[in-house]
Amino acid sequence: MWDTLIVTPLTNVLLWIYQIFGGNFGLAIILFTLLIRLVTHPLTAQQIKSSQAMQEMQKSKKWQDMQKKHKGDKEKLAQEQMKLYKELGVSPFGSCLPTFIQIPIIFGLYQSITLALAASPLQLLTLTRSVYSILDATALLPLNSRFLWMNLGQPERIFLPFLGDFGLPLLAIIVALTTYLQSKLTMPPPANPGDQSAMMGKMMVIYMPFLLGYFALTFASGLSIYFIASNLAGILQYALMGKVDWRNLLPASMKGVVKSK
Amino acid sequence: MKTKTFVLILVLLVSSLLLAGCAKGLTPSSWPGVVTDGETAYIASATHIYAVSLEDGSEVWRFPEKADAKKSFFAAPVLTPDGQLIVGGYDHILYSLKPQNGQVNWQFEAARDRWIGSVLVANDLIYAPNADYNLYVLNLRGQLQWKFEARQALWSAPVTDGQRIYLGSLDHTLYALEPHASKIIWKKSLGGAILNPPLMGGDGLLYVSTFGGDTFALETANGGQRWKFAADNLVWSTGALKAGDLYFGDAQGNIYALNASTGVKDWSLQPNGPILGAPLIVGDILVFGTESGDLFAVDAHGKNVWTQTIGGMLYGPPVAGGDLILVAPVEGQSLLVALDQTGTQKWAFTPVK
Repeated sequence: MWDTLIVTPLTNVLLWIYQIFGGNFGLAIILFTLLIRLVTHPLTAQQIKSSQAMQEMQKSKKWQDMQKKHKGDKEKLAQEQMKLYKELGVSPFGSCLPTFIQIPIIFGLYQSITLALAASPLQLLTLTRSVYSILDATALLPLNSRFLWMNLGQPERIFLPFLGDFGLPLLAIIVALTTYLQSKLTMPPPANPGDQSAMMGKMMVIYMPFLLGYFALTFASGLSIYFIASNLAGILQYALMGKVDWRNLLPASMKGVVKSK
Repeated sequence: MKTKTFVLILVLLVSSLLLAGCAKGLTPSSWPGVVTDGETAYIASATHIYAVSLEDGSEVWRFPEKADAKKSFFAAPVLTPDGQLIVGGYDHILYSLKPQNGQVNWQFEAARDRWIGSVLVANDLIYAPNADYNLYVLNLRGQLQWKFEARQALWSAPVTDGQRIYLGSLDHTLYALEPHASKIIWKKSLGGAILNPPLMGGDGLLYVSTFGGDTFALETANGGQRWKFAADNLVWSTGALKAGDLYFGDAQGNIYALNASTGVKDWSLQPNGPILGAPLIVGDILVFGTESGDLFAVDAHGKNVWTQTIGGMLYGPPVAGGDLILVAPVEGQSLLVALDQTGTQKWAFTPVK
């Protein structure tokens, strides 16, 4: 069911793009990522809108008073919160539901890239059976996995003369860097900087680049191309909606200076 | 309340979908490769190379002794005339082992990708195809002599007639190379990836099948096409020659018998499941393994002689081990099953964990 609904259709779209764009799998992954971003844009837009509404609500005096008033009674606090959600027309699931719906697509995307790379005989056999008849599997498969200096089916390393046998994981570094940039630029300022969710947000900005950087270091570089394209597309998407705060890149001490100017 | 129920159902649905997706990662990435020297079978299967006695199916040794998550083996090992067992791993390392005890003689670590195909040993050289697009040519001490680069991965062993090395590539091309230098004598594009070694005929012809389902008879001297036959589906293995006929199967489950000189079909039949491996010729019969887990024996006229259910999926070719027929199923109950020539099981080897 997972394959039929998610992985197989995504794989065939990926192969279709590969076929159209002259058998360049790196380019196909980038275009595929942009296409998925475009298709899921309404969900992303709704998520941004909902989280912004939620943040504004949490900053409101009414919310703050309510927190103080029912501090010792969690049940009552929850009831009052629900009332306020209804009153202001804010859905408590509005910000997480679109993300949640996107999770299968993201997982499917990973799997379809891995499946399409077919780096072993059984994977190739599985891929063959996943290709729709409208595509010419004979001519397409196996895919040409070379892109720029990379073999997209292998973790990427650059071997430079002055580094000897050490392979520089350039792509993993770019993945970590773009992940950090995306988190930093698109994360809205917390409603209550001292609370638990704000702390979690800060931790995510630090941990996610390391996590995705580690994935890029370990897994096929085709996935790294996806991470980078997805991060850059995410920044662009937020920028086009006017939701990127470039000042977040500045150290905290300089933010005030820029603002006052 | 309604929203909560909806979200809960959605969580359960998506979680089950994700779990189903993740579980797929546990399947093996290829099928076992087997070779024998008449007394011992050497099986490359996932985390180990096993040496198994053909007499009773007992384990003689395994390499490495303890499973290492970074090491896996699927290419059939190859025995050299000077007593080495050469096998490549998915860890990018080509190993030379002692067939007696599995100890390492040397290892070659310059390749950048997996060793999916077996090596060819000829002219006191080891011709080793790697998925990094290179054919590495080593001496018998594991030292690189030269290499030849194709345009895509190399998944199958080259073959030789003594005059040239014939190498199939996933780049759809069959290369005829000088045996002692990285030089192309001729090459021919065949319109589909070549996944298995070509088959040498004795009459100046060689046979090669492609992922596109075509089988070609080419002249060894210049690559000229003598004939071409289109199967109903992809052909993984070129097959086997016997008494002037070429026998092979396709992924739709057809078995074909062609006149090897003309490419004209003598007969075809469809037993019960896709056929990826070459048939084994045992006396007057041909034994095919099917994805459905059956060994299917036919005579030269296509008449079924016997069928034996092994279980699992039989992707690799059956292999002769003395008087025995050996098969190594994927996801079967045993790693290696030995049968006599009537299809009666003699023993099965299941490694102790």
